[in-house]
Amino acid sequence: MPREVEVSVNERAFIQQALQENVRLDGRAFDAFRPLELTFGDEYGVADVQLGKTRVIARISVDVTAPLPERKFDGIFQIVAEFSPMASPAFEVGRPTDAEVILSRILEKAIRRSNALDTESLCIIAGLKCFALRADVHIIDHDGGLIDASCIAVMAALQHFRRPDVVVEGEKATILSVREREPIPLSILHQPLCVTFSCYEDGERILIDANLAEEQVRQEEVIVTMNRHGEVCQVAKYGGATVEPLALLNCINMASQKVKEISKFIQTKLEEDAKKRDAGGLMAELSAENER
Amino acid sequence: MPLDTSIYPLALLRLDGRRWNELRRIHAQVSVQAAADGSSYLEMGNTRVICVVLGPAEGKDKGQRGAREGEAKVGVEIAVAGFSGMERRRRVGNKRTSEMQHCLSTAFSSLLFTHLYPHSTISISIHILSQDGSLLAACLNAATLALIDAGIPMSDYLTACTVASSASSSSSDTATSDPLLDLNGLEEQELPFLTIGAVGEKVSVLMLETRVRMERVEGMLAVGVEGCKRVRAILDGVVRTYEKKFG
Amino acid sequence: MEYFSLKRSSALDQGQTNLSSKVYVRSTKSGKVQKIVRELYLRRDIPCSSSLCRACLEIAPTDYSKKVAPFVLSDTPAGSKNFPNGQYLVPDTNAFLTGMDLFEVETAFHDVVVLQTVLEEVKNQSLPLYHRLIALTKNEGKRFYVFFNEFRQETYVIRNAGETINDRNDRAVRKAVLWYNHHLSEAVAARSKKQQRIPSVVMITDDRDNLQKAKSDGIPALSLSEFVSGLENADELLDMISAAQERREVRSSKAEVFYPEYFTMSKMMTGVKAGTLHQGIFNVSPYNYLEGSIHVPAFDKSLLILGRENSNRAVSGDVVVVEVLPKDQWKAPSTKIIEEETLNKNDNPEVEDGEDVISERERRALQEEVKRVHGQSAEGRPQPTARVVGIIKRNWRQYVGHIDRDSVRSTSKSSRQQQMVFLVPMDKRIPKIRIRTRQAGELLGQRVLATIDSWERDSRYPVGHFVRSLGELESKGAETEALLLEWDVQYRPFPKIVLDCLPPEGHEWKVPASLDDPGWRGRKDLRDLLVCSIDPPGCVDIDDALHARKLPNGNFEVGVHIADVSHFVKPNNAMDKEASQRGTTVYLVDKRIDMLPMLLGTDLCSLKPYVERYAFTVLWEITTNADIVSVDFTKSVIRSREAFSYEQAQIRIDDESQQDGLTNGMRTLMMLSKKLRQKRYDAGALNLASPEVKVQTESETSDPVDVQTKRLLDTNSLVEEFMLLANISVAGKNYEAFPQTALLRRHGAPPKTNFEELGNQLKVKKGLEIRTDSSKALADSLDTCVDHKEPFFNTLVRIMATRCMMSAEYFCAGSQAYPEFRHYGLASEIYTHFTSPIRRYADLEAHRQLAAAIDYEPLDPSLHSKAKLEGICKNINMRHRNAQMAGRASIEYYVGQALKGKDIKEEGFIMKIFSNGFVVFVPRFGVESLIRLRDLATPEPEAEFDAENYVLKVKGDINRSVELFEKVTVRITDEIEESTGKRKVKLTLV
Repeated sequence: MPREVEVSVNERAFIQQALQENVRLDGRAFDAFRPLELTFGDEYGVADVQLGKTRVIARISVDVTAPLPERKFDGIFQIVAEFSPMASPAFEVGRPTDAEVILSRILEKAIRRSNALDTESLCIIAGLKCFALRADVHIIDHDGGLIDASCIAVMAALQHFRRPDVVVEGEKATILSVREREPIPLSILHQPLCVTFSCYEDGERILIDANLAEEQVRQEEVIVTMNRHGEVCQVAKYGGATVEPLALLNCINMASQKVKEISKFIQTKLEEDAKKRDAGGLMAELSAENER
Repeated sequence: MPLDTSIYPLALLRLDGRRWNELRRIHAQVSVQAAADGSSYLEMGNTRVICVVLGPAEGKDKGQRGAREGEAKVGVEIAVAGFSGMERRRRVGNKRTSEMQHCLSTAFSSLLFTHLYPHSTISISIHILSQDGSLLAACLNAATLALIDAGIPMSDYLTACTVASSASSSSSDTATSDPLLDLNGLEEQELPFLTIGAVGEKVSVLMLETRVRMERVEGMLAVGVEGCKRVRAILDGVVRTYEKKFG
Repeated sequence: MEYFSLKRSSALDQGQTNLSSKVYVRSTKSGKVQKIVRELYLRRDIPCSSSLCRACLEIAPTDYSKKVAPFVLSDTPAGSKNFPNGQYLVPDTNAFLTGMDLFEVETAFHDVVVLQTVLEEVKNQSLPLYHRLIALTKNEGKRFYVFFNEFRQETYVIRNAGETINDRNDRAVRKAVLWYNHHLSEAVAARSKKQQRIPSVVMITDDRDNLQKAKSDGIPALSLSEFVSGLENADELLDMISAAQERREVRSSKAEVFYPEYFTMSKMMTGVKAGTLHQGIFNVSPYNYLEGSIHVPAFDKSLLILGRENSNRAVSGDVVVVEVLPKDQWKAPSTKIIEEETLNKNDNPEVEDGEDVISERERRALQEEVKRVHGQSAEGRPQPTARVVGIIKRNWRQYVGHIDRDSVRSTSKSSRQQQMVFLVPMDKRIPKIRIRTRQAGELLGQRVLATIDSWERDSRYPVGHFVRSLGELESKGAETEALLLEWDVQYRPFPKIVLDCLPPEGHEWKVPASLDDPGWRGRKDLRDLLVCSIDPPGCVDIDDALHARKLPNGNFEVGVHIADVSHFVKPNNAMDKEASQRGTTVYLVDKRIDMLPMLLGTDLCSLKPYVERYAFTVLWEITTNADIVSVDFTKSVIRSREAFSYEQAQIRIDDESQQDGLTNGMRTLMMLSKKLRQKRYDAGALNLASPEVKVQTESETSDPVDVQTKRLLDTNSLVEEFMLLANISVAGKNYEAFPQTALLRRHGAPPKTNFEELGNQLKVKKGLEIRTDSSKALADSLDTCVDHKEPFFNTLVRIMATRCMMSAEYFCAGSQAYPEFRHYGLASEIYTHFTSPIRRYADLEAHRQLAAAIDYEPLDPSLHSKAKLEGICKNINMRHRNAQMAGRASIEYYVGQALKGKDIKEEGFIMKIFSNGFVVFVPRFGVESLIRLRDLATPEPEAEFDAENYVLKVKGDINRSVELFEKVTVRITDEIEESTGKRKVKLTLV
């Protein structure tokens, strides 16, 4: 079984030594993210996130199916995160590692369970038809910070996505193609984003957005998911080194700050993309609702 | 419609008649399984778990996957009995149990003196017999007892409990919200809560899975750490009575 | 090592006395049975909360911030005849269920102990009452205290074997009261030896059995009325009790009433064919949700459908099959306003077992009706009454409404629990919808879109699901979107595919300079004519322009030039399909929902001034007496010289100093239009009125600032007159060319019965007569409806007459016989719409037909097909009606907003009268609103309704009578209408 190439003893000592002197190897501040890039695909609902050397693509697709029998009034939404061997030699197809389980579990809790997407609005006819939304997360390149990058990618893709409009007549539902009817954005109730903190020296030093080498040296991670309204959606600290409760509160405060920044970043990117799609002011031309 | 958690502000009483800072009845025993190296049985209210520890023993697979060089590997397996919930189910939340397994494994890996047992495996198996809230906390507590019973050295007790933020009369008002200690299943469904596992004053495990205002987390953490201390005293009592009898 | 068996460990716990468990069985929706086990921690530190008690102060609980809950119950509670030392009240569940209104009275019922047992039962029975009870406990002045008797060791009661849950709960209440009395006397004794004034703790119950047991146990207990009669203001409160008891529903008798099962499709079909059953569209009265009507060909008058059972799950708009009831069950239409909100507001949203589909109150409301009808059976004119036996087609759409606050169990936003809530639709004719949602907390106070999914036989209300939220109630965006959705107006952007159908030049498009260009083929060059357009101010989609010039022979040449939309919109392409679906442009107060993309509507097609535009022209030669000599139709190119507003044009015409060709042309048009108009009236055209107001908005924010009635100028009728003329001319031409498929517009003569009521009202109240033999007779008789003291009376009658009319409709020539083509209102034999192709699809079709009729271009095959055209007619008729309704709703919203926070006195007229209310129309704002008896005073005053003379005599303190057509002064304020969540004008009688 392939496994992650471990950092050498020397390198480990070097990173730890540097941290003791308040220096990160790439020169970042402790509370700084790596440069974040976000691009959207030509299709609606494709977001490509680059966080330093880590690269994640999320893609939203939609289908019409029958709702689950115990959830007649809800649409279906699932997030599928897959580690492909392309990203790192440590990844193997078909055998989920712990990291993979944790990633999909965190995304599940951060986005799905916190009701970021209003699944009730995906219901077409209760008990008969609903939209099934699927978010595929592809890890293209792995240099640490997968959870943060994946969460940004999924949230950006969800906000970017447009679902086809549907006309219901009695028990008959007709899905209208994109050409026939302008597709509709999803109803997003809030935008949860993850910030992962890495702890060193028994919680003495805490970093944001560790890269792969830093991740391997850390004692423990704390994943905080928040939205820009100051709500904590999810916190996960799976054991490891113990930390003062105050340090954890600090993490939450810091995460709230970072999440606001990233939210704003996604928003401006979405606006840029909308402007790009609306070349020549076509949308204004097509609007049916006009000032009198 | 039965009453729900919104009645708390009326008389500062919870659905089962407890105050905000009261634990449920905790009953525990150690060495319940003679064949095992260490074992425990724990009840927190109507949540019941049984835990068995085997090892440290020579690991099954040579590579010791998942563990670092020169340290013992902590393997965790959690089985949920089909009759443990309200409805009888065949398989319960696969991902959720594997997340709990991961959590227990990482928590105890750094708590136990694993460097004393290189190339070996300590395996913890937990059976959930009955569920009524605070499941992860019960698993952590039971595992701590069983590991002590097995005589594996560790720095301190790892004890856990849950804390919720009570419903306040107006949802935006943070001042009137009390943290509630040790939730039962009904409260868990209705209130935002977190599970906290502490070693002494420091936090080892923290899991929050429901949306809650960030201002409320502070109070929840403080009550949680306090709650863990009280759980520790109870578990310590269990261990010491056992010692007196058979030590 | 059997020492450590699990068995033994649980045996150990039995010693702990303060732990009990609650075991109960619950059945789930799917029919499974769940056994639920819960722990109960019994304790001795739950305080009595009486300020008399010192002992309890020490055990008073503190919360996280160390605050102690203050004690609620007064140390000197009010006394009564029976209990001079003062009393604390402990009502049982039924006392709250029947007498909640009483408990809410500010002056009585203080120091009340609400037991946990009772609170839980109240919640089980009715969520809205539970919410009211919780609100009472938060009202400091009322001093209501919730005592958790089930958690206190002394008052905890274990259910005995064989004991019913009700008996057990009654016993728990008695035990709590006993404990309270005992506890208080101890507390008072501990306080001081001399103290003698010990308040009694009194159980309030109407259960005779419970009372008796209490007496035998020595527990002070009274029935609700016994207690109230001991109070000071007993008389008034006693009235409320009897009212409350009357309204009380018998819950325990679980009558298994289901809605009747529907007939099978084949049974309905054969029935309809045989004439024993009838098919039609089900309509619900906006004033009485229990009264529906259905128009079927076999009966002149609409069939009446009364009550839930007879309407059998039909929702307004459904196509249903009905069976006429035997004659002895025929009823008269209701003269009473019945609103669902007031009748069923205490219903629980969760579906209950054995729920009655018809609530007791509804039955009673209808029974009163029946009694009244029987009482005057000689005069009360029973109508054919029917019941629904099946549904041919559900016309369920998406409904806009809001979530009923009282139906929400938990308003917490973080709660992920699914709960059943009520959606109250904006449209009063639609029943409340049960909605299962996880976001009830978030949806409160929002405009919500939902659909109905099903209506089962055993559920009183239909079940639906949430679609999306439109935004906050009363916000402009949400309300505008709501009314567009309610009237099914397609407001979403045009699809991209439409782009391909637009000219590639975009806004740069120009009339080709070269006359050889194919665009010029068959077009007359009319660029030299002095053409101008006259429209409302700020109009950007200019459909029509006019010119007139004198001919050498002394006659006039008059031209009406209409935007040549059919040049740009080719049949059957994507844009055409979109336009045919939209059918019409919809005008709201601040918005326009276009039928065609802006590029065409406001630029390329619009006959803007100073630029060359393609047009479709109708040219007449007209004599000075406004007789038409000849008419000619042609495609053309024009250049409008000026775009006037009505007012500008009027000023220009009136200004003698302006003597240019354009102005003189307008003067000619004016002169001719007046003559044409007179001719039309002579032929019997009606001059009807509808209340029209204009909302003035602030230009920046488009917030409404004022409401004005519309002013009509001569120039308005100038344009109108020539448009009518053009439409009539084109209609003739198209019919001549396509006798089967010409798209025309007709206005049927109203059936006599429509005017019966108005005629009778006028006869009884004013001694006037309305004749409806012909439109001419009607027009003349309307002219005689004058009240010399009240100039507005005539307009009022015209408004009411308008409502008796049939609505005009588009049709396909082949589907009617020629005499049926007649347009009743305009007194024209034949009519169509031709003059507004930018904003009406019918006009566009007429253009295409006319173009073919003059051999300009061949007719598209789709316009040859009668079946297709009939489909189009059906759609545009519906769109046209909806557009009008949406426009009115928009004005209603803005008038409501403009009057927000204001308090004005205005004159109004009574235009409809019921036995428990009346409708007042206020001309100044064009609003009409209902004033119910219960709005006049509380409690609702008695009133005597004289149906024959349309007089309602209100008794009691008000003591005045109101009658139809009476001029009244009303106070205008605004309020949020409970049932629809709309801000509406509220009228009160001064």
